[in-house]
Amino acid sequence: MTRISRSLAAALACAALPALAFAAEKAAPKAAKAAKAAYPTGPGSLAGMWQSPYPPDQLRQPGDKPPPVEVGPPPLKEPWKGELAAQRKAAADALAAGKPQVNNGVRCIPGGFPGMMGPVFPLEVLETPQQINITNEAYNQTRRIYMNEKQVAIDDAEPVFFGHSVGHWQNGVLLVNTIGMKEQVRMSGAPHSPNMRVDERMRRTGPDTMEDQITITDPEYLTGPWTFTYHYQKMTGYKLGEFICENNRDYDPKTDSQKLDLSH
Amino acid sequence: MSTRIPGVGHVVLLSAALMGLAGPALAHHSFSMFDNEHQTKIEGTVTKFEWTNPHVYIQLAVAEQGGAVRNYTVECANPGILNRVGWKFNVVKPGDKVKLVVAPLRDNPAGGGLLHEMVLPDGRVLNNGGFAGAATIHY
Repeated sequence: MTRISRSLAAALACAALPALAFAAEKAAPKAAKAAKAAYPTGPGSLAGMWQSPYPPDQLRQPGDKPPPVEVGPPPLKEPWKGELAAQRKAAADALAAGKPQVNNGVRCIPGGFPGMMGPVFPLEVLETPQQINITNEAYNQTRRIYMNEKQVAIDDAEPVFFGHSVGHWQNGVLLVNTIGMKEQVRMSGAPHSPNMRVDERMRRTGPDTMEDQITITDPEYLTGPWTFTYHYQKMTGYKLGEFICENNRDYDPKTDSQKLDLSH
Repeated sequence: MSTRIPGVGHVVLLSAALMGLAGPALAHHSFSMFDNEHQTKIEGTVTKFEWTNPHVYIQLAVAEQGGAVRNYTVECANPGILNRVGWKFNVVKPGDKVKLVVAPLRDNPAGGGLLHEMVLPDGRVLNNGGFAGAATIHY
């Protein structure tokens, strides 16, 4: 089978999923059918465009409630907890002084996984039975989840920005396991060991909503599992934009600082 | 981060949270190099419109007293955000006369600033998205 025909087969299989789900529903009792008809779950149900229920790119109006905080503080052990607190204080002091510190974002380096699941910018989910791709518009960050595959051993997981993800469906929920994030990929600034693992439960929660419950497990660095949930709202009629960092006028590599280039 | 602008203070806080604390920085950078407490009006003629990531820029020729012309750099959000708040890649072109509300650079207020609001030649008013925050003064 050629690559193109494999892709076609995958696309066709994906297109056939709603029909299969419909057939299964027909056989179900009426009450269950009514409950299920409200919104799709399981394979195919996550595909589409998603954004935060509180899109931070829109100008907020006076009186708008601030969005809820979705990610709590990392349950770091010492000495990392103290080190992160000191780093944050230094960053806040620098910010208050108008001399903000340089971070990966300023250098046009993407945040990586799991931070990229935060819908600060829109997310695009593409599903086939074999693979699910999720792209965050910010920095064109794409992660790939390989379905029904065995996770590689930590020793074989080359450290990368988005890790190595394997997933499967269970009772309408997409369960994903991810390992192998680079040392510099830091969720909320928290450092991690090479043995960190991230487990996700992604599911539809309504006709226009989805959530991703994320649990980070890293006994060497964390006092216990660190769980938080991102919420998403379906976008209709939007196509993901591209994001190539071609004109970074805010970063001065000579001084490794934020400085607006006024030479244009 | 500490600025409380009536009605939009939480926007400034949100930006700071997103960039520094809430996760790996998806927003490109902090806007604290701009003086949001002293927003100002500036008018000029567009010389360049850079529709690029990670930010969009407007280069403006600003006429000074005595006939001199000053080159002024205006930082805007990025194409994705601006498309979602009603801009378009060709909404501005060289030669257009525009009126802007900006937060000037702290270390070079005459050289550039962060856009908050733009009045186009046809009178339409565009904002710069939620990360930059609202204008506190208007034309």
